[in-house]
Amino acid sequence: MTERIVEIVPDAGLHARPASKFVETVNEHDATVKLGRADSDDLVPAGSMISITSLGAKCGEEVRLVAEGDDAESTLDALEQVLTTPEGERNDS
Amino acid sequence: MTNETLGGTGVTPCKGVGTVVWYRPDSALPSKDDFEKVASTNRPMERDRFETARERAHIELEAERDRAAKRVGEMEAAVFDAHMQFLDDPQIDEGVSAAIDEGFPAESAVQHAFEDPIADFEEMDGRMAERADDLRDVRDRLVRLLTGSERVNLATLPRGSVVLAERLTPSDTAQLDTDRIAGFATVTGGRTSHAAIVARSLSLPAVVGVGATLETIEDGTNVIIDGEMDEVCVDPSEDRIAAIETETDVSVIHDRVATADGTEIEVAANVGSPAELKGAVGQGADGVGLFRTEFLFLDRENPPTEQEQYTTYVDALERFPDSRVVVRTLDIGGDKRIPYLDLPAEENPFLGERGIRRSLGPDSDLFETQLRALLRAAANADGGTLSVMFPLVSTVDELDAALNRIDAVAESLDAADTDYALPELGVMIETPGAVFRAEQFAARVDFLSIGTNDLAQYVMAADRENEQVAHLHDPLHPPVLQAIDRSVDAAHDNDAWIGMCGEMAGNPELSELLVGLGFDELSMSAVTLPKVKTNIATTDQMRARDIAAQALTAETRSDVESIIEDQ
Repeated sequence: MTERIVEIVPDAGLHARPASKFVETVNEHDATVKLGRADSDDLVPAGSMISITSLGAKCGEEVRLVAEGDDAESTLDALEQVLTTPEGERNDS
Repeated sequence: MTNETLGGTGVTPCKGVGTVVWYRPDSALPSKDDFEKVASTNRPMERDRFETARERAHIELEAERDRAAKRVGEMEAAVFDAHMQFLDDPQIDEGVSAAIDEGFPAESAVQHAFEDPIADFEEMDGRMAERADDLRDVRDRLVRLLTGSERVNLATLPRGSVVLAERLTPSDTAQLDTDRIAGFATVTGGRTSHAAIVARSLSLPAVVGVGATLETIEDGTNVIIDGEMDEVCVDPSEDRIAAIETETDVSVIHDRVATADGTEIEVAANVGSPAELKGAVGQGADGVGLFRTEFLFLDRENPPTEQEQYTTYVDALERFPDSRVVVRTLDIGGDKRIPYLDLPAEENPFLGERGIRRSLGPDSDLFETQLRALLRAAANADGGTLSVMFPLVSTVDELDAALNRIDAVAESLDAADTDYALPELGVMIETPGAVFRAEQFAARVDFLSIGTNDLAQYVMAADRENEQVAHLHDPLHPPVLQAIDRSVDAAHDNDAWIGMCGEMAGNPELSELLVGLGFDELSMSAVTLPKVKTNIATTDQMRARDIAAQALTAETRSDVESIIEDQ
């Protein structure tokens, strides 16, 4: 079992597109992943869109990822990438 | 209740008049108690029915996702990805299985399974309540597929309809036809709701979060949806309707506009997705002054093909058969996520490798493909004139390199015997470097276009997204005005035309100043376009020049502001 604390970067927090991308990434990997707030022991299944959006984790908050399985380390790498990649495009002119 | 107004949250600064059509999609669906329990022998069949409905829901969602991506853009289409995740959620799966095991048929099992999660989200704050809407949308889709009920069709409403609804789901908004619908209002929802985002991108008058009083308005009532005053006006007086119709006078906004003394100014739209093109036509844009092409490149696993881009550019040109469409080449940099590009993490992405810097460097293949698509579109579109402009150019060398690239692409198309035409070419003036080279740029290209958001950011060294320095990030500061003035002169001295495609252009209070500064074209979000046109029509060129001259001698931003206000 391996775990990691990650600060959420996307403005939308763990919602909408970042949440969707997060669940998609979990499901692409073999590890069993759970997720919770960094300051809490409660964990929810990371492959469930309902569970992870229910956390209401916002931009700037820290979450704890716990993964189990052969693929655990690389799964966490991929998930950290999702949670730390800003999104959205600025109105650039 | 003549002239009574109901308050809500306006999401677009525009108004629409029309006749109420209530949209009640849920009423067509049976409730979970409408079904009798099934015998245990039938339970495997109910599971199969659920699986089939889920597969079909996936197919529908994929199709709606594609449609939304084309109409509104990738950002908005992504909500359908979330729906697909909800559809496959293990919690829903378990809930449905458990209910079927208890003897509920698939239809009511689905409703049971969604009950708790919907209730949980409803108890949370605003943004989370929107997830409840998404879940309802997914649930209703499954129930509809299981019962074979017809879907209410928002795309075939009579012209001039104003849609009223408890809420509009992403699937509902995907059907909204802006040719038929004059606006909408909803009982629930806030500025960030999906319906609000879609309304903005389509320039559709909309008020959300009106509350239960909205339900007192009956079908067939005339209403004004006033997104500017945040209200719905019920059964408005003839005078009020007439006032709104004059304000958005189609005859004024659909013609080219000239100042009171006859100087024509082109008023064009800034567009960031194909859906916005339609909104721009509806708001009377004379053309497109800034067609951002990033939507073609973002949020996908592979870059768009030349053919895909070609089709998009041809479509855009054909929407404006008698006008100019200014396409900006790819403008991306360190802060956007693009899986197929190796974008570096930069300390200061907005001072880093973005815009033309990437197009001439690591993204030169993408740049070349885009140029090929553009040159081919210029020759083959049965419509408007194509102009191409380069973003974030700050040196003459960069511009020369970009122009050489165009020549090389033209040569290769020639060699391959492929039809192409050379478009009009331009440069964006966004950096102080560009301002000081504006003469040299203008001598090499057909036009310049000022991006005021970035220009103000770089001239004032004030991050446009940092509220602490928002007072500095303002185009009315004298240094920014001087930079603008210098660019206008540089363009005209070298027989180039000059436009502005930043937010400043869309501020109706500044129309007179901009006319006075000598712009040939102003380009803005479609929603502000009618107001700017109306203001230009009453502007006197001599007086406008006088205002501009005074503003250019002002010492402080507040002096500039008083000069504008005193007029």
